[in-house]
Amino acid sequence: MITLQLLINGVALGAAYALVALGFVLVLNATSAVNFAQGDLVMAGGLLAVALAPHIPLPGIALLPLTILLMAALGLILALAAYLPLRNRPPVGVFISTIATGIILQNGATILFGPEPRAAPPLFSGGTVSVGGLTVAEQSLAIIAVAAILIAAQQWVFARTQLGRRLRATAQDPEMARACGVPVTAMILVTFALGTAYAGAAGLLLANRYFVTPTAGGDLILKAYIAVTIGGWGSVPGAVVGALLIALFEVGVSSVLSYPVALGALYATLLVILVARPQGLFGEAARRRA
Amino acid sequence: MRETVSKRAPTLNLPHIAAGEGIVAVVVVALVAYAALYASPYGLRVLTVAGVYALATIGFQIVFGLGGALSLAQGAFFGLGAYATGILGSQWGWTFAATFPVSLLVPLAVALLVGLPVLRLESHYFALATLGIAQVVHLLAVNSPGLTGGANGLPGVPGIVLFGWAVPRGLPLAAIVWSFVAIGGLIAWTLARGRWGRALTLVRDDPLAAGTLGLDVGRLRLTAFALSAVYGGAAGALAVHTQRVVSPEVLEFPVMVSILTIAVVGGRGRVAGAILGAVLLIHLPEWFRFLERSYLLVYGVALLAAIVLAPHGLTGLIDRLFPPRPKPLPIPVAPPVPQPATGPVLQIADLGKSFGGVRAVDGVSLVLDAGSITGLIGPNGSGKTTVINLVSGLERPDQGRILLSGQDITGSDISGWRPDRIARAGIARTFQAVSLPPGATVLDAVAAARLDRDRSIVEAEAHALHILGRLNAADLAPRPCADLPAALRRRVELARALARQPSVLLLDEPAAGLTDAEKADLATHLRAIAATGTALLVVEHDMGFLLPLAGHVLCLDQGRILYDGPPEGVRSDPTVVAAYLGEGAA
Repeated sequence: MITLQLLINGVALGAAYALVALGFVLVLNATSAVNFAQGDLVMAGGLLAVALAPHIPLPGIALLPLTILLMAALGLILALAAYLPLRNRPPVGVFISTIATGIILQNGATILFGPEPRAAPPLFSGGTVSVGGLTVAEQSLAIIAVAAILIAAQQWVFARTQLGRRLRATAQDPEMARACGVPVTAMILVTFALGTAYAGAAGLLLANRYFVTPTAGGDLILKAYIAVTIGGWGSVPGAVVGALLIALFEVGVSSVLSYPVALGALYATLLVILVARPQGLFGEAARRRA
Repeated sequence: MRETVSKRAPTLNLPHIAAGEGIVAVVVVALVAYAALYASPYGLRVLTVAGVYALATIGFQIVFGLGGALSLAQGAFFGLGAYATGILGSQWGWTFAATFPVSLLVPLAVALLVGLPVLRLESHYFALATLGIAQVVHLLAVNSPGLTGGANGLPGVPGIVLFGWAVPRGLPLAAIVWSFVAIGGLIAWTLARGRWGRALTLVRDDPLAAGTLGLDVGRLRLTAFALSAVYGGAAGALAVHTQRVVSPEVLEFPVMVSILTIAVVGGRGRVAGAILGAVLLIHLPEWFRFLERSYLLVYGVALLAAIVLAPHGLTGLIDRLFPPRPKPLPIPVAPPVPQPATGPVLQIADLGKSFGGVRAVDGVSLVLDAGSITGLIGPNGSGKTTVINLVSGLERPDQGRILLSGQDITGSDISGWRPDRIARAGIARTFQAVSLPPGATVLDAVAAARLDRDRSIVEAEAHALHILGRLNAADLAPRPCADLPAALRRRVELARALARQPSVLLLDEPAAGLTDAEKADLATHLRAIAATGTALLVVEHDMGFLLPLAGHVLCLDQGRILYDGPPEGVRSDPTVVAAYLGEGAA
């Protein structure tokens, strides 16, 4: 019974991580840029929900569309300020500009909200539901449902719509896409908006049960990165599966030992993966075209 | 100041000093005057902290600025040094003479242990892996209260004791810390200007080319990472002696943020940038008191603004305001000529390589004789470039053997024949897509080929200028590589390969994009190179250029040799014609 409850908690956490990893990998594919601010964007989404809640006395689910919209706008600003000016320079420029964005978000949040953990309102009532004798937090089920809908929406847009085809073309080969008349810069802006919106949604989902602090971003970006690494660098379904695996590992080890041990073990696993199979997990190292 | 000196006494042969270093000298004099005459005890403390950060950033400049590897572990190395001194000093009663070396060795050991595997990774994996290291170290410090005092840390760290003299706080401590900055800065500055620094910047700009020029990329990066860790540890130890307390704060992200911001705002890769940046950014919250709580926010904005608007930082701006004098060209010196080889130099037997399901090279055998020119032709995708990549070690063959003067140099993990070792054994190559470091001059780029064998930069440049002269390109020497048109870039790349004095020279489409006159000129040069005993393998599509030049021609199709014989027979060979024009045309 406890195992099943842990499993549901793990899947709920994994569903939220999957949104973070999904946003990260979409931007990665469209721009080859690693967005180090992704974790801080999750934190920003969570605190945005915390800030909106007193003004909109409705359940968290009502805050979700507004959070997604505002975060998408933040994603556009991020792309305009930190990506587009550097897109033709060595990639290290974008690493630093997104790290700088993360620093600004993290410390801006500290000044506005203080360092204490905050909680966003639950998606619905915040109670529990009983299913066949099993008592489950309603929030966990709601997180799973919301994340599943958002992930399915992304899949549908990418697979079925003209916008999705253009986004995929941009991700596969920007030069070719441009030659075929795809407005590549606009597609990159849309991708940043989408990736940031998903980070914000994850922030709202996580900020009720797990609270949110301004410094939470560092751990979240590492988890997104590990998820993408496990799932295959650049693979969208892989990122989702990787995120679920990480969350189950985290919840499982935390329940037996402790959260710091789980976190330490996770990072150690990352280093071991990097040491043991750098080429296998990441694909071929970039080679000069000859 | 420098300007007037050079105008008044143009014949005076002063050592070349960049304006950045000149301004640092002024800043140093001003700081010494400030510290000795005006500074309050609090001001001296801030100045000491600035020194600590300058030292940590000088180390960071080596791995990040020169080596181009974005390490996010510099804060962790700082913290490891701090905890080593903190634990040994407060709990075990060790003194500075014992704790300081340990504070250098602990980060060094960690860097060597984790650096070896993660340095092979591409830049962003490396950045995230080092961030992972930083998080693990922080987690360990907070969750091992028995050793580290946990979240509260350890009080009662003793001050610095030098030769029995307990250094008091205030001016003496500031002076000691800044003495360490001076020593560390001088070492880093000397290294950066020497062969090692040049090699490291080439590894940053073009790791692939660096390997084919005989430079051990992995070892250079590891040394840079290890050295940066030592600087980080030293800075951490001095920070703890200043604060007399060690707590998890030294391992938190703000330390890394400060170091990264100082390096980028000051100027990447420059010792002067680290010092200017540290003095400026550590004092910023002091000058603007309202920033006290939000200084990290300001650092974030400064970092973003610097990377977007002034990617070369303050020292880059100073260089633009006061452009450094172009250094005079050296006197060309002919490098010592190795014993010319005779007979078969390179022997390739049954070479094979697959990419996924594609058999790119399939059972290729060939022999290159000393002083011969061999042409390698074939349709696009027939495996020509892959043969060159296999011989130069950039790809590993699945089958076959490669012998250089009778020695097996087939690249594999077991044999240890990596590109740099193959290059040092006497094989040089050019690339189809010419790549020269954009920030370097032509002389710098060609001299890079001599870094592994000449004793100094001066000697390497003298030899490089001689080689450029042999290709009638000496007048290009002071020009930046970034400004050159395609034909001249090919010429410079050929000079760079030639500067290796190779026994085997592999050229990948050397005539592509050249005019007829330039091709004729190139053919003359290639004949002259072969006449010195070098064996040439030339991949080319232009038959009008290649067939009169080559003594022997091989034609590849789908990884197999279709034709192997004299150039005269190529055009009439039915299988070659079929491969180029399609089966029906034969």
